[in-house]
Amino acid sequence: MAKMHQHRIRYEKTGRGIYISHLDTMAMFQRAFLRAGIDIWQTEGFNRHTYVSIALPLSLGCSSLCEVLEFDLESEIALDQVPEKLNAVLPEGIRVLECYESVSQFKLLRTLDWTITMEYDNGIPAALDESFRAMLAQESYVVRKKSNKSKKGFTEVDIIPMVFSWEMKPEGETTVNLSCNLAAQNPSLNPQVLMDAFTQFAPACKPDFIRYCRKEIYLENGEKFR
Amino acid sequence: MDPKLERILLNVQKPARYTGGEYNAIIKDKKDVDTRFAFCFPDTYEIGMSNLGMRILYGVMNGMDGVWCERCFAPWGDMEEEMRKAELPLWALESGDPIGTFDFIGFSLGYEMAYTNVLNMLDLAHVPLRAGQRGENDPIVVAGGTCAYNGEPLADFIDIFSLGEGEDVTVEMIELYRTCRKQGLGRREYLRRAAQIPGLYVPSLYKVTYNEDGTIAAITPEEGVPAVVTKRIVQDLDKSYYPVKTIIPSTEIVHDRVMLEVFRGCIRGCRFCQAGYCYRPVRPKSPEVLIRQGIESCRESGYQEMTLSSLSTSDYRPLEQLCDGLLDYCESRNINLSVPSLRADNFSMALQQRLQKARKSSITFAPEAGTQRLRDTINKNVTEAELLQSCRTVFEGGGNAVKLYFMLGLPTETDEDVAGIADLAQKVYLCWKEHASHKARGVRITVSTSFFVPKPFTPFQWESQITMEEYRRRVNLLRSKITNKSIIYNWHDPDTSYIEAVLARGDRRVGKALEEVWRRGGRMDAWSEYFDFQRWMDSFAAAGIDPDFYALRERSYEEVLPWSMISVGVRQSYLWRERQQAYKSVITPDCRVQCMGCGANKLVCDGQCDALLPISARNKQ
Repeated sequence: MAKMHQHRIRYEKTGRGIYISHLDTMAMFQRAFLRAGIDIWQTEGFNRHTYVSIALPLSLGCSSLCEVLEFDLESEIALDQVPEKLNAVLPEGIRVLECYESVSQFKLLRTLDWTITMEYDNGIPAALDESFRAMLAQESYVVRKKSNKSKKGFTEVDIIPMVFSWEMKPEGETTVNLSCNLAAQNPSLNPQVLMDAFTQFAPACKPDFIRYCRKEIYLENGEKFR
Repeated sequence: MDPKLERILLNVQKPARYTGGEYNAIIKDKKDVDTRFAFCFPDTYEIGMSNLGMRILYGVMNGMDGVWCERCFAPWGDMEEEMRKAELPLWALESGDPIGTFDFIGFSLGYEMAYTNVLNMLDLAHVPLRAGQRGENDPIVVAGGTCAYNGEPLADFIDIFSLGEGEDVTVEMIELYRTCRKQGLGRREYLRRAAQIPGLYVPSLYKVTYNEDGTIAAITPEEGVPAVVTKRIVQDLDKSYYPVKTIIPSTEIVHDRVMLEVFRGCIRGCRFCQAGYCYRPVRPKSPEVLIRQGIESCRESGYQEMTLSSLSTSDYRPLEQLCDGLLDYCESRNINLSVPSLRADNFSMALQQRLQKARKSSITFAPEAGTQRLRDTINKNVTEAELLQSCRTVFEGGGNAVKLYFMLGLPTETDEDVAGIADLAQKVYLCWKEHASHKARGVRITVSTSFFVPKPFTPFQWESQITMEEYRRRVNLLRSKITNKSIIYNWHDPDTSYIEAVLARGDRRVGKALEEVWRRGGRMDAWSEYFDFQRWMDSFAAAGIDPDFYALRERSYEEVLPWSMISVGVRQSYLWRERQQAYKSVITPDCRVQCMGCGANKLVCDGQCDALLPISARNKQ
């Protein structure tokens, strides 16, 4: 859509909310605006509906502290009242942090900070940090990624140029937090693809469970996207 | 969230089915709760959350201080597998707590094919399957819904059946439980006392004996237990609870919209229809109350779609007033109002045109039978002329699709009646040819046939179902009669309907087969991907049950039917008379033309069935 819509909210998706799919999240917000009595722009045409758009789809099961949803307010309302009004009518795990006028176009969004939490029930593998470093030290590392567009059902991507920075920190005896900055779009690196690639590279380091959380979103120049 | 659950949620499809946390889900502080109720729906989340009855009872129970009602749905196969692997017992969506520790587990029984899910859910909850095996620490297992009118196939697994509308009796049942607990009375004493509450049927307190030919000799209650349990109804729908503020699922469900129930009961008396007899008497809500509740429901939910619900919405007297009131609100807000269950005979053109602003290209009718003779037999008082007139209206308005629903195997059906279905479809086609405003697009006429299942508490409760072979023969006959390429014919497989017929009129001996089906892996039998006909037949054989005895056998008036101790308010003699009228193809006028004295009016406190307004609204005037 060529038009940039005027208003955005930034919201968190955590807890039970992470199991709401991308499409369901949009439908949920469409209804929530109506419940909150916030008058927002509706699409024209045959099947009119309230217009909302989410900056970057979030995979099912991932949490996020920095989701951005765009819409147009139709009637005057103080922007700082929007979070409170919406939060009163949202399901558990979805919380609006702020509402503001759109700043940059979605297409300028470039990188994402993620925290990937790896759980090892039988203790953290000694070679974890080293193995991860070794994987990323390669010239290139091409992995298969599921794709609906490709006839083969997958595409091949090189993950190396899409990992900009990373750091691992153990937390207790069984958990390691991997903080990393990854490409967000055109092309993007889904952290689940990164971890699949890693467990292929170092099967001994395969975690028993992995959690993913988006922390922050950035423009090309490193400024926060808003 | 349970860490075991967290680890399996992403291994299954549609995890939002299992997590709860939706807007308006009720979370209570366990400190303030003394009685916990797990409302179980024996089908998927998407089906169960579409059920208005569940939403009503959820609100009623959670309106009680100290009572927390939570929801639970049948897990799909992938989740069940993960649960069993992880040894994770069935949990309630609100708290995530295992329901086996609750005071009550309540099932909503809307469809016979969900019975195996009832057993499977009890097993997944780690609750002993059979009522007789349950101890003082096990939940009281209750069941209600349309199938509870003959719940006998589940009699061994259910502690209490709740008959009829649950708004009042559920509260009484829970209050008695709390009283008994305070007095230190045990499970058995509670059940005995519960049996004294009108509308509660405790199957373990009734002994069933059989004749040598397999029919029932007698159903004998224990001393002091009522011989007949009569269903409960809500007297004043204007005053009864309606869930304006209700759970809004965070994932798409089947009926994802505001559902506004305009009245209960039906004046029509179609002789095959269980709901038509069981939900009597007719009790309307006031249009003022409905308009207010409809508008509030839209505001509270954010839904942009609303549907009126009842068995025959055109029979709601102030329908126009109601629609006008709702549309005044809806139209300016782009909320779509739909009014299904409109009859072909009093199809209101003005109303339809007002409703169908966009894309009303198709219309659905259920004439049920192909000839006027058979329609008279089943008392489906729709004439061909009325139906064609309605089709003409649709075609002239640019519509180009008609769906027609029929049943095959209705009592007295002949080959002529079967061929009549093809004739009727052809007439609809000719009507299109004559009246269509846009012929270039062509027309789609879809004919669907299902396999008639005789149900308890209808005039056809004594009938035999036709055999599956005979059904297939009639399907093939009809196929051969439909030659027009614009007419598409779909038919149901008879396998499920045959099993449904066994369960619908089964007695408690059938429970053994049901358990056998479940032990052999049967569950989600309402879903074709899970239903396995051979498993059912093998299980009947293993349990020593002859399914034909239940499905195909014609009963005599004298026979003690398995549901003889239950009353829905309509007299057996009335049903029998209706059956005789059916054989004479004599129609019975609807309740408004003439009261035929079915008996259901005695359920209303002032004896006024189908009054213009609910009692409270009448008193105001």
